[in-house]
Amino acid sequence: MANEFVLEMNHITKVYGSNAVLKDVTLRIRPGEIHALLGENGAGKSTLMNVLFGMPVIHTTGGFEGEVVFDGEPVSIASPMDAMSKGIGMVHQEFMLIPGFSVTDNIKLNREITKPWPVSRLLGKDLEFLDTKAMSADARRALDAVGMSIEEYTLVSGLPIGHMQFIEIAREIDKSGMKLLVFDEPTAVLTESEAQQLLDVMKKIAAQGIAIIFITHRLDEVMDAADTITILRDGTLVTTLPKAETTAEKLAGLMIGRGSEGVIHVDKTDREITGGTAMSIRDLWVSMPGEVDRGVNLDVREGEILGIGGLAGQGKIGIPNGIMGLYEARGEVTFNGQKLPLGDADAVLRAGLAMVSEDRRGVGLLLDQSIEDNIVFTAMQVHGDFLKGFLKQKDSGAIRRHAEEMIKELDIRCTSPTQPVGTLSGGNQQKVCVARALTMNPKFLFVSEPTRGIDIGAKQLVLETLVKLNREKNMTIVMVSSELQELRSICDRIAIVAEGKVVDILRAEDSDTAFGLAMSGKRAKEGELA
Amino acid sequence: MSEHVAGKAEKKRGSRFWASIVLFALAGILLAVSIGGYILRGSASTRANLDRMRTSAVLHTATEGLVDNIAQEARSEKLKELRADKNFRKRGLDEVNSICDAAMEEARAEAEKLYSNPVVEDEAALESAIENMEGVLSTSGKLEDKEHAVYGEIYLDLVDNISAWTEVAAPDMDDDAIIAALASTAPALLDEDNAHLKPGFVKLAKDLAANQQAALDAEMQGQSVSMMTGAIADWAEFSGLEGDALWEKLIGEVPELEESERFKDALLEAAKTHIAAAESGETVPEAAASEEGAETVSETQVNYSYFIPSEELAKDIQNNEDAFEALDTQLVKIIPDLCELTGKLQDSLRTNLEKVLWPGSLDFTTLYNTYMARKAGGVLSGGASTALKLASLAETLLLASIALLLLGLVLFFWDSLTRRFGVPRTIIALFFIYLCLLAEQYNISVRMMLGNVLERMTMYGVLVLAMMPGIQCGIGLNMGMTIGCISGLLGIVLSLQFNMTGFGALLFACASGAVISLPLGWAYSKLLNRMKGNEMTISTYVGFSFVSLMCIGWMMLPFNNPKIIWLLSGRGLRVTHSLLGSFAHLLDNFLSFKVFGINVPTGGLLFLGVCCGMMWLFSRSRTGIAMTAAGSNPRFAEASGINVNRMRTVGTVLSTMIAAVGIVIYSQAFGYAQLYTAPRQLGFIASSAILIGGATVSKAKVSHVLIGVFLFEGVLVFGQQIANSVVAGGGLSEVMRIMISNGIILYALTQSGGGRRD
Repeated sequence: MANEFVLEMNHITKVYGSNAVLKDVTLRIRPGEIHALLGENGAGKSTLMNVLFGMPVIHTTGGFEGEVVFDGEPVSIASPMDAMSKGIGMVHQEFMLIPGFSVTDNIKLNREITKPWPVSRLLGKDLEFLDTKAMSADARRALDAVGMSIEEYTLVSGLPIGHMQFIEIAREIDKSGMKLLVFDEPTAVLTESEAQQLLDVMKKIAAQGIAIIFITHRLDEVMDAADTITILRDGTLVTTLPKAETTAEKLAGLMIGRGSEGVIHVDKTDREITGGTAMSIRDLWVSMPGEVDRGVNLDVREGEILGIGGLAGQGKIGIPNGIMGLYEARGEVTFNGQKLPLGDADAVLRAGLAMVSEDRRGVGLLLDQSIEDNIVFTAMQVHGDFLKGFLKQKDSGAIRRHAEEMIKELDIRCTSPTQPVGTLSGGNQQKVCVARALTMNPKFLFVSEPTRGIDIGAKQLVLETLVKLNREKNMTIVMVSSELQELRSICDRIAIVAEGKVVDILRAEDSDTAFGLAMSGKRAKEGELA
Repeated sequence: MSEHVAGKAEKKRGSRFWASIVLFALAGILLAVSIGGYILRGSASTRANLDRMRTSAVLHTATEGLVDNIAQEARSEKLKELRADKNFRKRGLDEVNSICDAAMEEARAEAEKLYSNPVVEDEAALESAIENMEGVLSTSGKLEDKEHAVYGEIYLDLVDNISAWTEVAAPDMDDDAIIAALASTAPALLDEDNAHLKPGFVKLAKDLAANQQAALDAEMQGQSVSMMTGAIADWAEFSGLEGDALWEKLIGEVPELEESERFKDALLEAAKTHIAAAESGETVPEAAASEEGAETVSETQVNYSYFIPSEELAKDIQNNEDAFEALDTQLVKIIPDLCELTGKLQDSLRTNLEKVLWPGSLDFTTLYNTYMARKAGGVLSGGASTALKLASLAETLLLASIALLLLGLVLFFWDSLTRRFGVPRTIIALFFIYLCLLAEQYNISVRMMLGNVLERMTMYGVLVLAMMPGIQCGIGLNMGMTIGCISGLLGIVLSLQFNMTGFGALLFACASGAVISLPLGWAYSKLLNRMKGNEMTISTYVGFSFVSLMCIGWMMLPFNNPKIIWLLSGRGLRVTHSLLGSFAHLLDNFLSFKVFGINVPTGGLLFLGVCCGMMWLFSRSRTGIAMTAAGSNPRFAEASGINVNRMRTVGTVLSTMIAAVGIVIYSQAFGYAQLYTAPRQLGFIASSAILIGGATVSKAKVSHVLIGVFLFEGVLVFGQQIANSVVAGGGLSEVMRIMISNGIILYALTQSGGGRRD
């Protein structure tokens, strides 16, 4: 009798350093089912798949706890090659195809069919001829299986992106003995009709008895294709349930969850934002690597803390970066009634805006320079502060005084103001970034992913500082973050961005379902929010 | 994982600790042995043994000449015998040689047996004769060395700084006038103590003037001839004319020839050749004239043939004569055959004996080694021989123990040293110290070399400084600084073209070089801004190709001052231009003084200091800070509203302009301006110097420039001297320079993460 499950991952726990990223997660997949794996960024989906494929990153960091049972037998998977030989395949998010090779070559790469001839009989298998006919036939069969009509001898280089995705799939199903296929966000780069076609192919493959793990953010695709759904949140298993028992709205709620309390609690009662519009963004298009904005419309009120949330890669980070002139952008942004020139960082800074970048080490800091030099840099360049004398030399005394003030105010832990920022911890580096923005005396502050990669104490301090600035100096703050909890704890309003557009603007106290739906690109309708 | 790494580092640190302990122990042992050696030196028995060796060495030297003589005679005897034989022609050369050599060896062996144990009857007399000779030699040797040094200094002063000898020693000047003219360049000549040297230098000046005059005449004559042949088209008209008649007609045709009457004979000769050729219908081949007509005086080698000893030295030399006479008498008593030596052999015996008794110093090690080379080791018993060997090694052992101690210290503090200075700088500094020790070992004057290093620092300092803005603004090592160098060379050539001299010329060269480099650097920076990420490759290519382009340029540019162009073709600049008449060593000699025997080129150092100071001020200004940020993190700079491309342009132009000034300073220190392919390597030298100083391809400070140029030039100067004394031939130092500079650049590129120390 066949096993009930093709794959069982029982009680998987994985710890990186002191940080548990998977806590007692169990995943069971039946043969021939499409099993959707859902979760926010950082919920643990990638780590789980890394465990499944025996990626080196798992082994070099001390392995994992728990048990993997494949096809009824407990296995220990040493490497991706090992996984492949056992019948586990992966359709990658980034295409792993050789452009100059034909479709057949790519499908049969490293698994070529060969036929012997006298010399090869003498000198070994490496000298055998390729059996191109048999290979073409195999490739054809695989292409047909995924519903592709293209000729198997065309070169990959000229094909549209959608086709490449299908060739990847064809390659995987061409492998004999394939029992389980993992699709990691396969529809992210596809058009709607291609995505539909892909879902059909997935169903077809599943019908042949191959199980599929389907990782995606698009809830409607899940509702369309999946048989069973497993939801992860913060490294723990929320639930596993059959599709029939749920709806997209319920899934959205489960994904977000109330979870633990936010790192800080801010009293927002009797907050009435009365100010006018500080900044209005109309039809903003930004192109930065991995983040594309396609026509963002947003108004920021004076004196508020506005949060911008959304999943990674959906375009939330593009908004501040585009406006601050770090990436190519077009559209219309007015600040206090004046139009901001996009792409001119200097002019934007002069207008009284400042930003704390999400790329702390790349954009935010001069790592090998001292804390004090980092803090005053932008103010010196833009406003000409901290310069003295006929030769406009930097005023070391004034810089030191200001830096010490900032170090005290923001509690930057350091040996002296001359310590190179590269040697500081992440949290203290972030505080230096904030200090640099504050030194500009901005009226309007963008804060992008302020708590990424810093410890909980520093998080708290950074968030408290933001609230303090907002309350005491009446500074308008726009905070972009992947951590919904944080946004909900300090923001007055939260704009959710998906697929390059603002989907919805919610209040902190709105339901998880509303947030979950917005993140997957759907606006909750009044009636659906029960 | 981090624990794992930490464990590994811990292990490494542990092994370094033990290695340093072992080194300390070794150093201690060597030190103890060396002290033992020094104590042995002081002991009377060692002294006596050394004296016995000396006697033996002297006797050996004496018999050696004799034995050689006998062997040679036997050989020629044999040869004569063979010649007399009628079969001589049938034998091959090899056979003849081998027969003769065999005869010679036989005779030598016999003679050695005969003289190997000379019987010394009156040992005390021999001893005292040797003692006396040694004493005389050591005083006269010291005095001679001293006087030679004074002579050499004056000689070099004169030869380096005087280019127009014909003016210093014109035919109508008497000796006093010549001395006065020479003394204006070398005031030491007027010293009371140096009076005896005057006639020698007068003769030198006259000889050189005569040489120069002859060369000039030859050149002028060549020019007159080519002018004449160029001006006259139809030689047939002159057919049949001779002597004065021909001369008259020639002047009639080419009036300018009147001025060249001195060369009348040569001109007539040339004219006759042409006439003959015209008559027979042949063409006369162009006479090949030498380009650099004047015979040049060697710049570094002192020629002692004009040296005249002082009275005191002459007396010493006389004493020397007497002492040798006495010694010779004693020797003849022991080896009667010595009087048979002919005059020439007698002289060579004397030279050899002097070398044994006065090998340059009376230092224990030197004496011991000299005696050992004369096979004097045999007179000692086993124990005494070991003791003397040990005593002779005392200095070497001391140096070795110091070196080991240093190495141990460095290993012991390796972590903190490398954290503070980086690995390459630590190693190079270590190497430098090692070279200093070696210099001590090879008796090379460290002081003189330090002076040399200072001089070269002023020479290269500004060029190395030019690397700094390039690195700071983010284009990395600016190998294209040759663009600036060529602009500077243009400035120099312009100053020569207008016959400028002195500080005016220097200033003009700097300023015009900088002005020329401005648009060039600007265009170059635009190119670099389009090639972000590949700057190093591009700048190397641009640097090289600009040099090649200017190889054509130097030929084409319309300079016309005959001092700087090729004389024959009348166009195109020469390769090397002496700046002796304009601003050679001008800065270096400005306010220069001597301290501890080190010549300090004050002006050059001051200028370098001022340049570095200005650079330092710039790097603290708003633009400088912005430029550094644009270089080290362009995205950060952009986020602060800085135009990164503009900053890169500022840095590149600045680097190019400083390079232009740098090459002018370089040329003034060098004394020559070299065009064509000469500037090609400068980028590499400057790069490796600043990298040794601690800069990376992305970070540089003024201190890196100063430390780097000192260490780099230090290692080169010391290394060159030592390499030359270890391995004969000058090629090694050049090989070493290339290896060090390119190795350092390679190392820096592998580290191009830049400044990361974790």
